[in-house]
Amino acid sequence: MATDTQTSTSRASGASAVRRLLLDNGALTALIVLVIVMSALSGDFLTTDNLLNIGVQAAVTAILAFGVTFVIVSAGIDLSVGSVAALSATVLAWTATSQGVPVWIAVILAIATGIACGLVNGVLISYGKLPPFIATLAMLSVGRGLSLVISQGSPIPFPDSISHLGDTLGGWLPVPVLVMVVMGLITAVILGRTYIGRSMYAIGGNEEAARLSGLRVKKQKLAIYALSGLFAAAAGIVLASRLSSAQPQAAQGYELDAIAAVVIGGASLAGGTGKASGTLIGALILAVLRNGLNLLSVSAFWQQVVIGVVIALAVLLDTVRRKAGATPVAAGAGTPGGKGKQAATYVIAAVVAAAVVGAMSFLHTGSSSSTTQKVGLSLSTLNNPFFVQIKAGAQQEAKKLGADLTVTDAQNDASQQANQLQNFTSSGVGSIIVNPVDSDAAGPAVRSANKADIPVVGVDRGVNKADTAALVASDNVAGGKLGAQALAEKLGGKGKIVILQGLAGTSASRERGAGFAEGLKAYPGIQVVARQPADFDRTKGLDVMTNLLQAHPDIQGVFAENDEMALGAIKALGSKAGKSVSVIGFDGTPDGLKAVQAGTLYASVAQQPKELGRIAVENALKAAEGKKVEETVKVPVKVVTKENVAGFGG
Amino acid sequence: MSNQDELLRIEGIRKTFPGVVALDSVDFDLRRGEVHVLLGENGAGKSTLIKMLSGAYHPDAGRVLVDGEEVRIHGAQDSERLGIATIYQEFNLVPDLTVAENIFLGRQPRRFGMIDRKAMEADAAELLRRVGVNVSPRARVRELGIARLQMVEIAKALSLRARVLIMDEPTAVLTSEEVEKLFAIVRALREDGVGVVFITHHLEEIAALGDRVTVIRDGKSVGQVPASTPEDELVRLMVGRSIEQQYPRVRPVSGDGTGDGAAADSALLTVEGLTRDGVFHDVSFEVRAGEVVGIAGLVGAGRTEVARAVFGADPYDKGAVKVAGAALRRHDVNAAMEAGIGLVPEDRKGQGLVLDASVEENLGLVTLRSATHGGLVDLKGQRTAAARIAGQLGVRMAGLGQHVRTLSGGNQQKVVIGKWLLAETRVLILDEPTRGIDVGAKVEIYQLVNELTAAGAAVLMISSDLPEVLGMSDRVLVMAQGRIAGELSADEATQDSVMALAVSTPTTDSDSETAVEGSRGH
Repeated sequence: MATDTQTSTSRASGASAVRRLLLDNGALTALIVLVIVMSALSGDFLTTDNLLNIGVQAAVTAILAFGVTFVIVSAGIDLSVGSVAALSATVLAWTATSQGVPVWIAVILAIATGIACGLVNGVLISYGKLPPFIATLAMLSVGRGLSLVISQGSPIPFPDSISHLGDTLGGWLPVPVLVMVVMGLITAVILGRTYIGRSMYAIGGNEEAARLSGLRVKKQKLAIYALSGLFAAAAGIVLASRLSSAQPQAAQGYELDAIAAVVIGGASLAGGTGKASGTLIGALILAVLRNGLNLLSVSAFWQQVVIGVVIALAVLLDTVRRKAGATPVAAGAGTPGGKGKQAATYVIAAVVAAAVVGAMSFLHTGSSSSTTQKVGLSLSTLNNPFFVQIKAGAQQEAKKLGADLTVTDAQNDASQQANQLQNFTSSGVGSIIVNPVDSDAAGPAVRSANKADIPVVGVDRGVNKADTAALVASDNVAGGKLGAQALAEKLGGKGKIVILQGLAGTSASRERGAGFAEGLKAYPGIQVVARQPADFDRTKGLDVMTNLLQAHPDIQGVFAENDEMALGAIKALGSKAGKSVSVIGFDGTPDGLKAVQAGTLYASVAQQPKELGRIAVENALKAAEGKKVEETVKVPVKVVTKENVAGFGG
Repeated sequence: MSNQDELLRIEGIRKTFPGVVALDSVDFDLRRGEVHVLLGENGAGKSTLIKMLSGAYHPDAGRVLVDGEEVRIHGAQDSERLGIATIYQEFNLVPDLTVAENIFLGRQPRRFGMIDRKAMEADAAELLRRVGVNVSPRARVRELGIARLQMVEIAKALSLRARVLIMDEPTAVLTSEEVEKLFAIVRALREDGVGVVFITHHLEEIAALGDRVTVIRDGKSVGQVPASTPEDELVRLMVGRSIEQQYPRVRPVSGDGTGDGAAADSALLTVEGLTRDGVFHDVSFEVRAGEVVGIAGLVGAGRTEVARAVFGADPYDKGAVKVAGAALRRHDVNAAMEAGIGLVPEDRKGQGLVLDASVEENLGLVTLRSATHGGLVDLKGQRTAAARIAGQLGVRMAGLGQHVRTLSGGNQQKVVIGKWLLAETRVLILDEPTRGIDVGAKVEIYQLVNELTAAGAAVLMISSDLPEVLGMSDRVLVMAQGRIAGELSADEATQDSVMALAVSTPTTDSDSETAVEGSRGH
């Protein structure tokens, strides 16, 4: 009997230890709730492969977030980590490939770049007395700009020996996960055991008290930001090796993910608190959420809403827990206050669970009948009508043929796209359609789909160094040429024009620009007076055009690499548009065609995005059934002017 | 039981926090036109009690009655509506707004929907005049010293036409002259029928100002006595035992402390002609091993500034600081620390402690570097050392992991002193070491000072609490307007002689420099 009692007590104390662990770590509770919900909703979630996927997908955010943890614990903020990651990766790829530097030196240079950026932040903050927000915001812009300067806007292939970092070890352990774990351990040791780590808590808790206790606050801050830069460089290298290419536009907005991960993990932006384990959990929550939403075929638009809500709830859970009891360490368990605190935590956990379950089942649009074919479509962005049109065409065709189509939005982020493709592969779709953010960067993810024998169809842009069953595209170079021809003819072979370029580093921008330049060679009388990027964006098109008009009020023509920028330019031109200045756009979007009809847009080089989507789905289904498909399907491109616009509507 | 004069009554209030019973069956009442002193050690529950009246906390049990009717106070609006105004130790002022804006914050007089700045400033000027403080209504609060901040708070309470005014240790930060002024204001308010709840640790203030005293100990009200009760009796009620001696200074046996040759040789800290333009001028003194030198003076006399400059926290323009004869690098905290100087700053919470870190972490802050070997901190060693010193100082806490924010003021101060003891400090500078600390803890800190000096350390003590300076110092330096106005031996120093020097206007070359004759030759 005595032993019985003992076991039951120890079991009880074990259970209470677990309960205490969960209560003291709101983020851990949230993660567990999420995992349970996801496992219940999707049979594909709780598999070894998928869990490793999540690890890989969390790695870059987690490594960035570890670096940011140092900064946040010391009551600072680092907004530059995303840019610094991209810059470091670009430096590595550029020195190793273009400059012929040995790879190991290139790696050292990349790390040094990260540290240098961090030191500059640190100097500005410690000695320049800039607020951390401002200093690192400046570095965000400078870092991004430098990586574009070095790479000249194009992705640089990553040296093969480093790209192995994106592979697996022993055939199953992905190296990024290993790197994440190692960096996490280093972070934990630095925070918990080293002089600089303990100083971070003191500086973050009360900088003046730390200074008056003899801590060299300024020097420590230099080191703290340098560490953050170092971790950003490591994250950049992991990111680029996964994609086998260094993207100048990589990791945009990752600083916010990293900060979110740190805060979800229980750190306070006011400083003085934060742990490596919490940050890891925060990064995992974000990754689990993205992965699960992909697996559940939640609409791309709703995904962002759900992610935002979960971030808020996870932090709320922690805040309520803290508010319910600023736990004095030896406070007796079972006091009334303690019970209230537990109740509050359970209530919040229940609310989180209910919200997630509700949102999932509400948004879970995919039908679960097993007879239908599953197709995954990963679009580079849905922030542009052209791609929305591709989506619409694909959905119509899928409905017609009775297939189950899941659409994801990569938000112009190559690494997010790689994650989504991986999620498609592990959820066992019949075929995948990919509209790559970048042709090189999509390679590794498509190769792993190849390995799983899932046919991949490229749409709009091709995939390099991987097998695609078919490529459905309109010819951007040819379109550029046609645009040049149309504009030059309209201007009678001479005049001054400006070019609005798309997002630097994208293939669409490169190819259209190249085609346009090619086409212009036949018209020596046309003078290009300015060439400026407006990122495929209507608002930026308006701003850039307004600026250009200040410098060049006498232009006669504008070539915009897409309709959105052309429409922005038309706004800037005002009454000049369609009269003294001819504008040519690209894509043939509904808004663009309307403008052509109204006469403000002279012409649009029209692709037929719905056709692209439709044909892509058709081919993907064929390929999945093992039928033969054509390797490249060219969808015709046509210059639409007022004369022939009627035939294009919709 | 319904008393016409009764403004406020509290019956059987209980309040618990997780793991702590803060208040347990506390009774209290306040009449029109009286000053009712709330007395108790720090941590006894006084702050919790007044936070119930301002609506920051809600009682778990018990009743609050205003004008004989039971009320529930849910927030600042409720208490304002009931005519209760509170002046906390930590002021509720917005640093970057003007004095007038702060006084009328949220209630600015409006004209055609716009703030009527002129009317607001005129009203503020009138209130400030009533309080008797010379501050422009347009001055930014950030620019004001601590005493004036207090006056602005009082003006704000006056503007609310409060019937019940709660003052949480209003005199803790004031010089005696300012205290007199404050008392005059409080008396005037009492004449007007306002009921004042007055919290203080200065027992002598009770007889001077109070009518009745309620003593709180360990969350319980242990007695209500007239303000004329002898101090010994009040102390006994407050700490539950009698304290034999308030200032237990054990003076070194050798000599009376004036500069004779033999003692000058053992000068540990020597300050020569220290000057920062516009702040302090030609400040010279020395502190010998085993000696406590007090610095008295009015707020703004430059005492804290000198202490910070000696410690290297701030720069100075001219002069030198030497420890055991070796000159220190200017504006270098680490150099001062290596030479063995430690500073217990005036603002305990703002400068002395990392409030949301544990007792252990705070105690180990100064020794963090020396405990680092091969990049790693010897956490075990740090913990052992922290446990030893916390035990030695008698820090009352739940454990080394407790956050210092939740300690009482006296225990917080012990932690600040403790981190310097761990670093084996030879010259300890104490800036207002017992501000806001209860009698029991004060005596413990004085005994600590005795132990330090007995072990051969030198102590420089800045204090606005005159009895403390007189009771604890072996010599007293008096500063006025940035200069040393004079030096007094323990025997010469009295309240009158110190105050006479403190309000004097010192000249550049004066008799006030007797303290440093020995070192002038260099």
